[in-house]
Amino acid sequence: MTVREYLSPRSLPEALSLMERYGPDLLVMAGGTVAMPLINDGISLPERVMGLRHAGLDGIAQRGDVLGIGAATTLTQLLAQDAVPLLREAARNTASWSIRNMGTVGGNLFTPPPGGDVAVALLALDARVRLAGPRGERTLPLADFFTGFMTNALAEDELLVEIQVPTTVRETAFIKFGRKHANTPAVVTVAIAVERRDGRIGTARIALGAAGPHPIRVADAEAAIVGSALESDAIQRAADAAMRECRPFTDAIATEWYRRRMVGVFVKRALERVVA
Amino acid sequence: MASTIVTFELAGREVEVMVKPMTTLQAVLRYQLGFTSVKEGCRQGGCGSCTVLVDGEPMMSCLLPVEDVAGRRVTTLETITPDEGVHPIQQAFIDHTAFQCGYCTPGMIMISKALLDHDPHPTREAIVDALAGNLCRCTGYEPIVAAVEGAAQATAGKGAPR
Repeated sequence: MTVREYLSPRSLPEALSLMERYGPDLLVMAGGTVAMPLINDGISLPERVMGLRHAGLDGIAQRGDVLGIGAATTLTQLLAQDAVPLLREAARNTASWSIRNMGTVGGNLFTPPPGGDVAVALLALDARVRLAGPRGERTLPLADFFTGFMTNALAEDELLVEIQVPTTVRETAFIKFGRKHANTPAVVTVAIAVERRDGRIGTARIALGAAGPHPIRVADAEAAIVGSALESDAIQRAADAAMRECRPFTDAIATEWYRRRMVGVFVKRALERVVA
Repeated sequence: MASTIVTFELAGREVEVMVKPMTTLQAVLRYQLGFTSVKEGCRQGGCGSCTVLVDGEPMMSCLLPVEDVAGRRVTTLETITPDEGVHPIQQAFIDHTAFQCGYCTPGMIMISKALLDHDPHPTREAIVDALAGNLCRCTGYEPIVAAVEGAAQATAGKGAPR
C-alpha cells in the first residue's frame, strides 16, 4: 500500500477545496467498489485518495417532477425508492447486496463497461448531472457527460454531486442479460423509456450497456419506433437498427459478434415488454 | 505515510487500531486483531469471503478503508458466536452440512445473519438473492440455502440473536 494520505471530507465545500489543493493527482472515490480492487492489486497506485462516504452527498429528494439523487447515494438506497421503477429495476440487477451497500449511483457513471447498468437506465430516463467546481455549478445531460471509454465531461477540478431524473416517464423496460441470473457483468443491458401521444410513440429512448465504450443511446433504433404504435414490424426495425448502431467489444464475458446479436434480441424483447 | 488511529466498535467494545492510510477493514480485522473468520479471498469484492456487517449492513471488508468505519459498529462471525455453543445460523449450517472446505462459510453466515435480521421469514428467492455475492465452490449452494431456511425456522421469526 503506497497511499500517503486518505482524505475524508465532511462536506462538499471541503471536498472541493481538497481537490483544488491537490489537483488532478487526487483520486476521488465514493463506495470503493471500482477503485479499491485496483488499489488492492497495485494496478492503481494513488498517492492521495479522497473518500466521499462522509461528505454528505447521499440522499434522494423529490423536487416537483424531478428526483434529485445525491452522487454518493448507495445502490441500496436507490433500490428503496419507488418514484422511478426503472431505477429500482436497474439497481436490483446490479452487483450483490454487499456491493449495493457500498457502490454509489454517482460511482456507477464512472464504472467502465460491461459495468454501469444503473447509468444505462439513467441515460434512458434523460437524466441530467449536476457538477460542482470552484467556479460554481453547472448541469448537463447525462448523454453529454460520457465522452469516451473511461472519459467524461468533468473538468479536473469538478465533482459530480447530483443526478437529476424526471419522474414523469411512465412506460419503461429494463433487461440485463448476463451469464448468470445475478451478480454478473452484462453481456448486454437494455433500458427503454417511451412516451405515447394518442397511442403512438412520441418520444423514445433506447439505451444500451456493454455495447459501446460507455452507456450509449441508439438514435436510429429510437427513430424506428417514433410515430409507431409499437407494431411488431416497427419493433423489428428498431432491433435491426440497434444491431447496426451499437459498438460492442470482446472481453471475457462475450465476443463482439455475440453481443451485437444479443443487442438485437434484447432490444426486441424489451420493446415487447413495453407493449405488454 | 503517517499512520493514523481509527476507533470503531467490535464485539461490544471500542477498539483502537493504528494503521497506514487506506488499510482495509479486512486486513485490520484479520491481521491486526486476529479475527481470522474474515478471509482474504479475491480482494476485489467478487467473492464475499470477507463479508462483515457495518452497523448491521453487510459489506465487503476488502473494499473498505478502515478509516470509513470510524465510530461504527462492526460485526464478524467471532462477535456473533456465543461463549458456549454456537449461533443458531452456525448450527443450521452444521445440521445441513452447508460447507465442505469452509472457506466461504464465515461470509455466508454473516450475509445470512444480515438477511434474517432484515427479514426473519425470507422466501427462497430472497435467500438466493441475498447470497448472490458470496461464492462457494464446494457445495453447489443447495445445502446453504437449506441451512438459511432452517435457521429462519429455528429462530421462529424472532430474528437471529446478536
